[in-house]
Amino acid sequence: MSAVEGTRKDAGFSPMAALKAPLMVALLLIVLLLALGEYLSPGFASAQQILRLLIVAALMGIVAAGQNLVILGGREGIDLSVGGVVSLAAIIAGNLMSGQDSGILLAVLGCLAAGALIGLINGIGVTLLRIPPLVMTLGMLGVLQGLLVVIRNGIPSGRAAPGLSGFVTQPLFLGLPGIIWLWIAIGLLMAFLLRRTILGYRIYAIGSNEQAAFMAGMPVKTTRILLFVLSGMFAAIAGICLLGYTGSSFANVGEQYMLPSIIAVVFGGTPLSGGKGGYTGTMAGAILLTVLQGILTTVNIDESGRQMVFGATLLLLMLFYGRGQALRT
Amino acid sequence: MARLVAKAVSKTYGATKALRRGDLEVEAGEVHVLIGSNGSGKSTLCKIVAGSVRPDSGELLLDGKPVTINDPQEAKTYGIGIFYQELSLAAHRTVAENILLSNLPGGVFVDRKQLVATASRYIALFDGVTGEGFSAGATVEALRPDQRQLVEIMKALSTEAPILIFDEPTSALDRAQVDRFFDILRRLKAEGRSIVFISHRMDEIFALGDRVTVIRDGETVATKRIDETDAAEVIRLMVGGESAGMETAARAPAANKAAAQTVLSVGNLSGVGFHNVSFDLAAGEILGLGGLHGQGQSAVLRALFGASPPSSGSVSLKGEPLDANSPRATIKRGVAYVSGDRRRDGVIAGRPILENVTPIHALKQRLALAAPSSLRDRAKPALEALRTKFAGFGHPISSLSGGNQQKIVIARWLIDRPDVLLLDDPTKGIDLSAKTDLFQLIRKLAAEGMAIVLYSSEDAELLGNADRILVFNGGGVTRELTGADRTAFNLYQAAYEAA
Repeated sequence: MSAVEGTRKDAGFSPMAALKAPLMVALLLIVLLLALGEYLSPGFASAQQILRLLIVAALMGIVAAGQNLVILGGREGIDLSVGGVVSLAAIIAGNLMSGQDSGILLAVLGCLAAGALIGLINGIGVTLLRIPPLVMTLGMLGVLQGLLVVIRNGIPSGRAAPGLSGFVTQPLFLGLPGIIWLWIAIGLLMAFLLRRTILGYRIYAIGSNEQAAFMAGMPVKTTRILLFVLSGMFAAIAGICLLGYTGSSFANVGEQYMLPSIIAVVFGGTPLSGGKGGYTGTMAGAILLTVLQGILTTVNIDESGRQMVFGATLLLLMLFYGRGQALRT
Repeated sequence: MARLVAKAVSKTYGATKALRRGDLEVEAGEVHVLIGSNGSGKSTLCKIVAGSVRPDSGELLLDGKPVTINDPQEAKTYGIGIFYQELSLAAHRTVAENILLSNLPGGVFVDRKQLVATASRYIALFDGVTGEGFSAGATVEALRPDQRQLVEIMKALSTEAPILIFDEPTSALDRAQVDRFFDILRRLKAEGRSIVFISHRMDEIFALGDRVTVIRDGETVATKRIDETDAAEVIRLMVGGESAGMETAARAPAANKAAAQTVLSVGNLSGVGFHNVSFDLAAGEILGLGGLHGQGQSAVLRALFGASPPSSGSVSLKGEPLDANSPRATIKRGVAYVSGDRRRDGVIAGRPILENVTPIHALKQRLALAAPSSLRDRAKPALEALRTKFAGFGHPISSLSGGNQQKIVIARWLIDRPDVLLLDDPTKGIDLSAKTDLFQLIRKLAAEGMAIVLYSSEDAELLGNADRILVFNGGGVTRELTGADRTAFNLYQAAYEAA
């Protein structure tokens, strides 16, 4: 190759090092938090307990996959409606299968379609109607919350099929339940999508410099709509799994996922400004947040306290990661 | 004794010598025109006189007394008022507030009645030519560009300074507005005021000026009385030397061009910033677009590329109509476009070189999967053709120098050859060796049959590379230079003529 000696800046650069930095921090923190949990409450870090944490982390991680894509696409991309989609999917799935394994396929297809439709509306609002993603998806969340009240009329409804519950809670292969394998598969798929497909290149390009992407003939709007559709579908998958985990759906079961899905992405090294980062770090971020949640529960901090801790965590992260990375571009 | 004298003033910004030796002498009761090509230093000289830029050396004399002007406020106390080329209006405030911004009547609280009364005096000067919706109470953001320029002019007039400097004040004005403005300036001159006027238009210079000072490459080369000179002499002074600029451009027109097939045909194309542009481009031809900066050259290229679609006119590519609706559509048809603003339009900052060099290839080949090794193999020859220096495809493009970044952006168009290459000031801000590499490649591509349109803000690049030059002025093509007519003199003359 005619490539000649690079600049001094080139010489010491390793793309992997940059990618790994937030990942290493997250992994280190996970180990530290597990040790802290074991110290506070012996048995916290037992194999059984860690597996339970991983199942919960998988639910959060699957939501965060879609969130990750939307954020990577840039232009203030964010999806605040994911919590509503999770709740809606759990209810649709519960009612479509109502405790019967034979209804699982229909439930999955129905939920994916609903998630895709919501994402499509979000995407169209953001690209064609130029509504800021924050406002668009927050509005969508409001609509979904209202819809949930109307549908259920306040009465819990729908039950998970035994097959679905088993998939989420019972060992399937090598002692791990199906949902863990599903999460691993999603992780591999995301890595493939982002690193080995033209669509992946395009997602980074529009997140990094939308004007340049447009001038290079990329379908900027279509791509951005697709990201919101995928986010809706991932949230729907998480909603189905959540139904399997809890057995039946209850009020606003998915709401708790909105903030953590964003924190996991930022913790994993994807700045809110988009254009760089990836899903591997986000997976570590999801596990980290789940362990943190477990510790907060152990020391008897209730839901409102946990939300405060999460909110503060996000703000701190913005201070350390988000802002620094945004400035560097 | 001259009212204002600038003696051998100079100014350096970093590595650029913006002004090497600026001399200017302005008498009371005269309109003094300052002329020079883009970047010759005339705006810098004006800014020094107006106190917004401090000179590195040289001296300023007012009525024979040496003065130091530290800031615009001080310039005002010395009686110097200036109109800036870059509009400096407060968009959300009213016309009246903007006119009197630096001189609001009243004490702690603004005297509204007084404000409107005073501003109205200046608005009345342009009575009948201000256009719809222009009043003391209108907010500036609701105004058209020409109306904003009028506000800027009124703002300068309201200083009532004995010395008034106008840096390209007429660029957005229509004929009637210019005529009125000139009448006002003549009246001010008769009152004994001194006016320094920067313009690119020969007709304006000769209609209004008493004397003209020519600046070339940061140096004052001559001051002439308008009635003792003519346009040709002024242009010769700008180009340099008696005979300079008369030699024909270096590049011989493409051989058997007449026989070559027409690739791109543009008919009466109009859009924002340009109108009725027509030309045919043959395979292997390099068509230059010349003229002063911002006369519609970039707008035409961006329209042909589909980045801002034209409003009317026809474009055909290889005999088939071309719908320039989006870059995506024109790229698929074989059009390529390289922007001079690589940070905005070209570079995907922070992403690896591989991702920066392959998007066009992926689009044209309809790729779904990104196989890095095969993409690298495809990109290598294009990067080598431009002698691009880089350490590896995985390194971020931002780690390269500006010239090498631009080479990566250009190389993305060359993996799969386009039929038409549109170059929109492609060498802006890149180093000399990268420029040389780029033009070598462009000539080679043309020799291989590619049809190329080149807009450059550097006349030498056009004269050295183009087979034919269309000179743009005011959004239209005012002259076509072919064969032996492609001289620096003709290029300047066409560029500086009235549109």
